[in-house]
Amino acid sequence: MEMYKLELKKIRLSAYLWAVLGIFASLLAMGILFLFLGSSTSEKEELFASWNGLAAMQTALTVAFFSIFAAVLAAKMIVDEYCGKEVVLLFSYPVSRRRTLEQKAVILVGFTATAAFVSNLLIMGGMYLVAEMFGITPKLLEMQFYNGFIGGAYFSFVISVVASSFMAGILSSAIGVISAVAGWKKRSTMTTIICSFIIVCFVPNFIAGLPGHALLIMILVSAFFILAAYMMYQALAKGIEEMEV
Amino acid sequence: MNTIVEVRAVSKSYGLSQVIRNLSFKIKEGEIYGLLGINGAGKTTLMKMILGLARIDEGSIYVMGQEVRESSAFLSNVGSMIENPVFYEHLCADEILSMHLSYMQKKGDIAQALRLAGLERAGKRPVSQYSLGMRQRLGIARAIIHHPKLLILDEPLNGLDPVAITEMRELLRKLAKGGMSILLSSHIIGEIRQSADRIGILSEGCIWQEFSAAEKADLGEDFENYVVSFMRRKEHGNV
Repeated sequence: MEMYKLELKKIRLSAYLWAVLGIFASLLAMGILFLFLGSSTSEKEELFASWNGLAAMQTALTVAFFSIFAAVLAAKMIVDEYCGKEVVLLFSYPVSRRRTLEQKAVILVGFTATAAFVSNLLIMGGMYLVAEMFGITPKLLEMQFYNGFIGGAYFSFVISVVASSFMAGILSSAIGVISAVAGWKKRSTMTTIICSFIIVCFVPNFIAGLPGHALLIMILVSAFFILAAYMMYQALAKGIEEMEV
Repeated sequence: MNTIVEVRAVSKSYGLSQVIRNLSFKIKEGEIYGLLGINGAGKTTLMKMILGLARIDEGSIYVMGQEVRESSAFLSNVGSMIENPVFYEHLCADEILSMHLSYMQKKGDIAQALRLAGLERAGKRPVSQYSLGMRQRLGIARAIIHHPKLLILDEPLNGLDPVAITEMRELLRKLAKGGMSILLSSHIIGEIRQSADRIGILSEGCIWQEFSAAEKADLGEDFENYVVSFMRRKEHGNV
């Protein structure tokens, strides 16, 4: 636990907490905007006029924002430290290089995943409250894939929002890890952030593309990115263990 | 006296360029060993190899009896300052030293280390506001706070004023008297002459000449001229 505290001390955590708050506020504002937009669009605009569409859109944006956030955090915690002058100091300590990297990765994944999960849930809750207050009633699409397992449309929608939020957190942090490895390879914090931008140009489109199947798509996309992140992380750990400074 | 560092026929290359060639030397307990050499002579690389930061291509290095390649456990008994000291800029001196002690899993007196390094009035200012000299002093405080048996200092006098240089020399003497072994590198020949017990002249990856305390004393004030002329001859290929 002591080593985790040391890692947290190295970064100014408060700055990242403010960033999370900023992202949350922006996403909430966008969510409310979409809600009002949905109330004034035609029936065919499923994305804005249904809860499923709004949730898919919101989750896609959460993934996009928090993936970039994860890349910024990874750039500071991993790329800056292992590619900058700090590495001489870090490697002069009698601690395992692999273990130190693990601690950084746990903080990166844990912080991003928790922030994205909580943020997405609160935003959906906030949107529901606003909808109630202003009498906006987006429709609820039949979720045939889930209904068979978990009962009615309303309940299955709530469950799918919780599960999607969880997957959004995992997916964002996996994209953060992938970006960190790319940044480390190129010895560049800029590459880390650009890599996450490139990934979020594609991934959220899959999620928001099929609102009725957002959770299924999230599971498939997350599985792919988790596997990719794990393999790239192993390569990073090996590289850092053998690294000369 | 026990041998603290033993470098045995070590070689190191970066690509096609051989930086260290078949180099051997020893540092005894409580001894200050000075490394002199022009830029690119291999001083920093040698220090990094002793710390396990750079791979050893051939030969072996033992620190306190432990082979450097085998484990990093010996590092808890080593203090070092390689090139310019690096800090987490938003932290203050106390926090930096406390973090260092946690990493080293050792106990140490932060106030005393700051006093020894002449930083007792640094206060709670973040390191980003420190001058070059203050950063150098803090780097030295960090290197000694955990009472290492071996201290490795690469150009520790960079950025220090004449008073601080004198204080630093006195501090190193005091630490060596307490049993700490010190490996010191510098461009300033006069300073190395005054601080070190033994001096090795490093050129093209080899220690070409070693001076004991007695040999150094025999040369007296001529030591500096001797070293400079040796380095010039070396540079022009006359050695």
